[in-house]
Amino acid sequence: MALGAKMVPFAGWEMPVSYKSVVAEHQAVRNKAGIFDVSHMGRISIEGISASNVVDYLSTNTILGKGAGQATYTVWCNGEGGAIDDLIVYQESSEQFFIVANASNREKDYHHLKQYAQNCVVLPHYEEEGILAIQGPEAIELALPLFPELKQLKSMHFISTTFEGSPLYLAATGYTGEKGFEVYAPNAILPALWDRFLACGIVPVGLGARDTLRLEMGYALYGHELKEERPANESVAAWAIKLEKGDFLGKMALQELAKKGKTHFPAALLMQTEGIPREGYPVHSSGRRIGAITSGTFSPSLSKGIALALLDTSVPIGQNMEIEIREKYCPATVVKLPFWRKT
Amino acid sequence: MKFSETHEWIDVKGTTGTVGVSEFAQKELGDIVYVELPQLGKTVKKGDPIAVLESTKAAADVYTPVSGTIIEVNHQLKEAPELINQHAENSGWLFTLQLSNPEELNALQDEQAYRDGLRS
Repeated sequence: MALGAKMVPFAGWEMPVSYKSVVAEHQAVRNKAGIFDVSHMGRISIEGISASNVVDYLSTNTILGKGAGQATYTVWCNGEGGAIDDLIVYQESSEQFFIVANASNREKDYHHLKQYAQNCVVLPHYEEEGILAIQGPEAIELALPLFPELKQLKSMHFISTTFEGSPLYLAATGYTGEKGFEVYAPNAILPALWDRFLACGIVPVGLGARDTLRLEMGYALYGHELKEERPANESVAAWAIKLEKGDFLGKMALQELAKKGKTHFPAALLMQTEGIPREGYPVHSSGRRIGAITSGTFSPSLSKGIALALLDTSVPIGQNMEIEIREKYCPATVVKLPFWRKT
Repeated sequence: MKFSETHEWIDVKGTTGTVGVSEFAQKELGDIVYVELPQLGKTVKKGDPIAVLESTKAAADVYTPVSGTIIEVNHQLKEAPELINQHAENSGWLFTLQLSNPEELNALQDEQAYRDGLRS
């Protein structure tokens, strides 16, 4: 057999794909609560009088006008409209922000931010800090004994607090489609925090389930749905691009493309039969190859294969097409995202 | 029972052999959610990728450890692919073949050597 390993190198880290079973961990997050160590991601802060303008200029989503304590998902683009990263911007005050960047992009994002924020202090915090994500319908409730302040925390908001004297942030953000929160805390207290969360009845979840969970929601994964060489408005993250806001990096190129007409279109595909779509598999319609899968997996919630694809034609919801899996044409239907909804 | 270096096992009775993947292989793959089995009657050559096990994370080819003709496949796996995770080396078997060159068995490892090899 051609085997993979359970621990995989991920952007330079050795990460667990699963602690026990991807499917069991996935279900734990959908039905109760799970905890992910996502310390490979990186927090970067920016402070200064012009901070809000800089962050707004670099973000495709609107940052100016948001209040302190708010978190905003955004794409960062280059001048050509390609995606540098997708990330969350956290506003501490009108002059203080931080972002949480993807593992493989955090160094790039830091230099990018620094280049545009010459009158601000830009600091990477990822060497001395780690990130835990606690997600699931019971995540908040189970963690209340540790952090009672979670009760008041609204979705896409964050607060700073302390744990046994150490400062940390609690943010009601995540990548699973479930309720829950993320913790940005010093490395020194992470093991203790991890153990305390487990003691609350929250189960450890690896990268494998992180991917099946995000894909069931149709969330973009950098390097798959978003790339530097692809216009960001031709992706599932296009909703976070606000062409009506003030000037931002990449706006001209994206506006031009919107006017001229896009050439590629993201689509969500649900397998009608068995078989699991994977990245790179060709998509066919009426005998013509119209694109390829950008992310695909087995959905534990639906017990079916699901995929995000990039196609060279716009396809309506409900249309049938075929995914080529090992030289076989397997029927799939275009569906509306998310693939999975709470009933 | 004999084992290939690529973690398939074969249990031979007379000139027919039943093939599956090892306990070690099933653990490495994680939750198996879909199995693609070879066609009945198909002639296969030692080392050919003739079955696919899909876990939540990846698809893995299964190579036949010997040459022959497929005479039976484990239909239970269609409904219950998790049988491989639960009982990789018995009821999670994949297919049975009629051996065309039984001498190929000599190149496979016996159970002791295979398990020792995993530890080193």
